[in-house]
Amino acid sequence: MAEIKLKLKEEPKFPLEADCISPDKFAGKSLDEIKALPVYHANEQLTLGEYFDVSGKSAEKDDLKIIIDGDLSKVKRIGEGMSGGEIVINSDVGMHVGNNMSGGIITVNGNADDWAGAMMQGGELIINGDAGHYVGAAYRGNWIGMSNGVIRVKGKIGNESMSWARSSKGKKAFPVLKCGSAAAFLGVHNHGGTIVVEGDVDRCAGADQAWGSIVIKGKVSRVLPSYKKVGEVKEIELPNGETVKGKFVEYSGDHTVKKETNGRLYIAV
Amino acid sequence: MVQKKVKTVYDVVCPFCGTLCDDLEVDVELSNQEVLEVRNGCQIGTKKYFSSNVSPHRFTKPMIRKDGELQEASWDEALDKAADILVKAKRPLLYGWSSTECEAQGKGVELAEILGGVLDNTASVCHGPTLLAKQDVGVPTSTLGEYKNRADTVIFWGCNPVHAHPRHLGRYSEFVRGYFKRDGRNDRTIIVVDPRYTQTAQIADMYVKVNPNEDYELLNAIRAVLRGVELDVEEVSGVSYEKIKELVEVLKAAKFGVIFFGMGLTQSIAKHRNIDTAICLTRELNDHTKFLITAMRGHYNVTGANTVFTWNTGFPYSIDFSRGYARYNPGEFSACEVLMRDEVDATLVMASDPASNFPQLPVKTMFKYPLIAIEPHKTPTSVNADVVLPPAIAGIECEGTAYRMDHVPIRLGKVKEAPNGCLTDFEIIEKLIEKVKEKKGE
Amino acid sequence: MSIENMTLLTGRTISQGVALEGGKTTKENVRAAAICMFDKEDFKKLDCIVGTPVKITTEFGEVTVYSTLTEEGPHPGIIFIPMGPWANQVVNPQTQATGTPTYKGMKAKVEVAKSAKVLGAVELISQLKEA
Repeated sequence: MAEIKLKLKEEPKFPLEADCISPDKFAGKSLDEIKALPVYHANEQLTLGEYFDVSGKSAEKDDLKIIIDGDLSKVKRIGEGMSGGEIVINSDVGMHVGNNMSGGIITVNGNADDWAGAMMQGGELIINGDAGHYVGAAYRGNWIGMSNGVIRVKGKIGNESMSWARSSKGKKAFPVLKCGSAAAFLGVHNHGGTIVVEGDVDRCAGADQAWGSIVIKGKVSRVLPSYKKVGEVKEIELPNGETVKGKFVEYSGDHTVKKETNGRLYIAV
Repeated sequence: MVQKKVKTVYDVVCPFCGTLCDDLEVDVELSNQEVLEVRNGCQIGTKKYFSSNVSPHRFTKPMIRKDGELQEASWDEALDKAADILVKAKRPLLYGWSSTECEAQGKGVELAEILGGVLDNTASVCHGPTLLAKQDVGVPTSTLGEYKNRADTVIFWGCNPVHAHPRHLGRYSEFVRGYFKRDGRNDRTIIVVDPRYTQTAQIADMYVKVNPNEDYELLNAIRAVLRGVELDVEEVSGVSYEKIKELVEVLKAAKFGVIFFGMGLTQSIAKHRNIDTAICLTRELNDHTKFLITAMRGHYNVTGANTVFTWNTGFPYSIDFSRGYARYNPGEFSACEVLMRDEVDATLVMASDPASNFPQLPVKTMFKYPLIAIEPHKTPTSVNADVVLPPAIAGIECEGTAYRMDHVPIRLGKVKEAPNGCLTDFEIIEKLIEKVKEKKGE
Repeated sequence: MSIENMTLLTGRTISQGVALEGGKTTKENVRAAAICMFDKEDFKKLDCIVGTPVKITTEFGEVTVYSTLTEEGPHPGIIFIPMGPWANQVVNPQTQATGTPTYKGMKAKVEVAKSAKVLGAVELISQLKEA
């Protein structure tokens, strides 16, 4: 893979919006052209080259790997809308990383701020630290959020992750979120998303779930009263074909949405 | 003996809370434009009129901070200094807007756009969660007049109108005869849900004590029972399963019900999801009977701020103009968050007192940077500002439009003259826009 | 004397509404909003007379206000400070990415502070400026 290396020269005072950083936007461009791409710092428009040292060689989108160093905790929108190629971020990263992406792989070797992977349509987002609120969520006013792709977070994720996720059996599109642990309202308004949590989850998991599978291998602070115990299972088959083995209590819900539902919540025994 | 020449103004619209009462009477002494008496208003509205009288608490001249002290200045000097601060800022926050009239709010949008700053109103610390929920699940709602005339079952969830909207009960929701509710209070069943046995609960027919921060689970249980699902619980959020079932029967037996809700739902930890589920409950009750829901908006024109911002930008609050067009993301672009993350380098506060109403962390940041206050009175915000621009009080000293909590627009009247020289909020923003454009070389 | 693990709620009272319209720099405002309302039984545990200043501490800050008995109880385990600058020294500023701080439901510790001073609104808030 061809590599382009970016190094942040200096921490910006205000958040820096760098949605130009994606294999789609770098593909086939010379280094000078890449340095001239626009970034936004408060109410000023500047260029990528003013904030980053840029080196390496570009290529076609799918053959391109962008490696970014420096403290990127205030840099927002990296990987926005990307459809192929790779991005590796070697620090914490700001809001909206990988939002609207439909292909390619983003790896964050640090923590991600809120809205990581929001509105995702495909590809893979890997966060090797914690993530903020609204991981893989729908932006405000959208009632269809993540529709495909996989998000893996090693650590803890914030509230309302995977809100309004929607799967499609016909399109074989099964959005998946895997994480170490989660805060409240995990999978709120879920329409088919698959969520697997290795550890504990706070309250209201699966609130207003219409259908989908939420698997929790740790403990929940409490189960919503609208969820009903169905039985115990030793193996769970997820819509994307994966299986999870272990002893789980199976709950159906959310029964506030429907009297009979395919929605499921599995909590480890 | 000197005869006082007194004018009585009738049908005065009260500029305090979202109930926007329109039946006040105010006596004004004409020679010194002093409010002498207010009739029909509640204690708070009445006090607001009296506070418009000139007193040590009121600014009548613009002020600029020089050598650490606020000193009087001319309007030109103060407006110039304010415009200077705004133009030099890279990320100015323009906050407040809820206690002024709609035309001024519209001008505020224009100013924020020209500056490429962040525009937010007090909904972001109050009913912002309600707006988020409405954007997710919609809202079945109506006007206060319809509730007065038709509602036989009224629920106050997480709100305390006796204290916060004192005349609401007497004008629209409880102690009032409606067209189809000729027997007034006796024709209505009042239910209050609250962790405390509030004064509103004390005069209700049914009180449901819910654990603080656990309203979501209770609403969730109610919705499930309404769907005919048998729950595996004995109690939810401190309420017994039996009581939940009883409550559901009361709701189903209503002919026309309404849920009023307030900060108990928006400011406790589940925030907008509380409202989301309450709205869904309301919608689901319409499978059985007629039910609607309305938010008890706090300020008299916060609904106006949301409405004006929306028809100008598409969004009701927490708006960013830094990339040249309006973008919306509460949290990312809300006043408290941008302050806590130290992403602001100047603040303009109009018709609000964030130093009193924000948690201490965002206030600390706000005080680090230049602060402009468009504020008639001495408040913790204005006394710490770098520039104070004292306006004529909207709805008392200048006309305008305000939107009631149910989105009904009502024209505010001018009851008396402002202290000499005080510009209106609209004029102040208009002049700031002129000066900002000049300084930017447009 | 102190009590722990109380749930702190904040909100509107009509007196606080009247006081804030009357002048936020007044003593009336202090009497209306620099207070903490206790359930009768909880208050007995503090073993002090009504009006004694108390220090309220949460994870987010501390503030000294006058103690008083609630007229909206019983609500054992819950304490109530009217909305305003005093309450806001101890509320939870976290917004969970919604922009709205969490003004209700903080866990609080209450300590009797007989000789402590309850500051006026401007004094209290101006401390934030110096800091």
